Amino acid sequence: MDEEKTAVLLIRENPSKSPDPYRINELRGLAAAAGYKVMAEILQRRGRDQRFQMGRGKIEEALSYHPHKLIFYNALSPNQVYNIRSQYSAQVLDRFNLILEIFSSRASTREAKLQVELARLSYDAPQVKNALALKKRGEQPGFRGAGAYEQSMYHDIRGRMAKIRSELECVQSMGEDRRQKWREQGFDLVALAGYTNAGKSTLMNSLTGSEVVAKDQPFTTLSPTTRALEVFGRKVLLTDTVGFIDDLPHFLIKAFRSTLSEISEADLVLLVADISDPIDLLRRKLIASHKALWDCEVTAPIVTILNKADRLDEDEASLKAESIKDLAPYPVLASAVTGQGLGVLEECLSQRLQPLKEYEISLPYTSEGLSELSRLYETTELLAVSYEKELIVRLRGREETIAKAGLSGAQLR
Amino acid sequence: MICAVVSARISPNFIEKIYCVRLMPREAEALDINIVADFISAACMCLPGTIVAESGDFYNLETWRVKSILGRDFKYPETIAERTAIEMAHHISVAGRRLIMDRERRDNHDG
Repeated sequence: MDEEKTAVLLIRENPSKSPDPYRINELRGLAAAAGYKVMAEILQRRGRDQRFQMGRGKIEEALSYHPHKLIFYNALSPNQVYNIRSQYSAQVLDRFNLILEIFSSRASTREAKLQVELARLSYDAPQVKNALALKKRGEQPGFRGAGAYEQSMYHDIRGRMAKIRSELECVQSMGEDRRQKWREQGFDLVALAGYTNAGKSTLMNSLTGSEVVAKDQPFTTLSPTTRALEVFGRKVLLTDTVGFIDDLPHFLIKAFRSTLSEISEADLVLLVADISDPIDLLRRKLIASHKALWDCEVTAPIVTILNKADRLDEDEASLKAESIKDLAPYPVLASAVTGQGLGVLEECLSQRLQPLKEYEISLPYTSEGLSELSRLYETTELLAVSYEKELIVRLRGREETIAKAGLSGAQLR
Repeated sequence: MICAVVSARISPNFIEKIYCVRLMPREAEALDINIVADFISAACMCLPGTIVAESGDFYNLETWRVKSILGRDFKYPETIAERTAIEMAHHISVAGRRLIMDRERRDNHDG
């Protein structure tokens, strides 16, 4: 029988910084998502302890609950992990490792598994290097010294990382080809981005009528999911992506580059935020989302969806929307559960998408020309077709679709 | 050292208009927080609005402390547009520094 995993949460706050009550809430949510039953939460305001991160008394207090693991909000150095393990025989995790644990338990596709492995190796590599350096210091007896075997461990990690990176590059280039093909088929690419547990998957389900897994817990979605949608006559592909979180190390974002490229390469980004959060937390989550979008090098226009508006009354929601207007471009109040504001959202989406240009092209009276015309019927908005010496077609569509028509002998007039 | 200032009107994810760009060189013995703050204050003089600077520039001090040192409204970058403006100031300061170094090298060579 599976025994329930238990944990005690520990958080150290810097005395020179203002207290932050949301950190412990976030850590509690992450621990629950990883399947831990939280036995106690311990907070300490003090400077960083070199050996144990927190004071020994607090660690002993945490261990008095006899948990399976101690989960720290603050990042633990290799030495701190070693000291706590050896002195107290306790299993420890920090916030970053907790996130990785959630990711590895939920990763279902090959791409997601590779990304999680790369993130873990990127985290482990400097620690192994550090451990080897410590081991090589001083005398090195033959047995258990840093011999050739240990030394090769670091090189093995680097080699595995290089292999995963090349596999992910392959996945990324496949993604680029796929996006190019979609654009040639006349689709506009829209990505759903936002802080974790903001309601992106639920919103996708309500907009497209699909049944993507959506739960009230962080990191339900790891791999991108794409569904088709029609907005005022325009064909749109909506992609749900992994959620953002505050204070993520840059190498984790780097490891998830191929997934995040769905956001950076989109024609429009829908930034989802949970308006039912307290105003300070909402601002913080939006700031973290802006930072993540900046790291993803997003250049596309952004529309902010203030989701879960049904949980507030109208006045309160408008007041909140007003107070975050500096962080929320083109805000739309909506509720994915009740469907409130989705019409306004679709209207805003069609307005913010780049307007389609009008072209006039000529096609030869050949089988290729006629099959191209049939393709253009499906992928563009045909305005007029006249049968003269050549087929003259006036249409409105994406540049990529027209470029593809050019390959089949169409001439731009 | 060199301080580059970009005065702009921004929306959450775009720079709407750039009003002016200012580049100010100054020699200093140390990079004390007071010297840096004084330099930034001087560079932003007569420019209206909130000062936005990277947290490293003010030694990761909390916003309220930097506000009280500068004596005017201040924040660390939050939106994409604010980060773009800071990146622009970085490029300008690097280019300005190169120009000054080149001029000094040329003066030394001529002298």
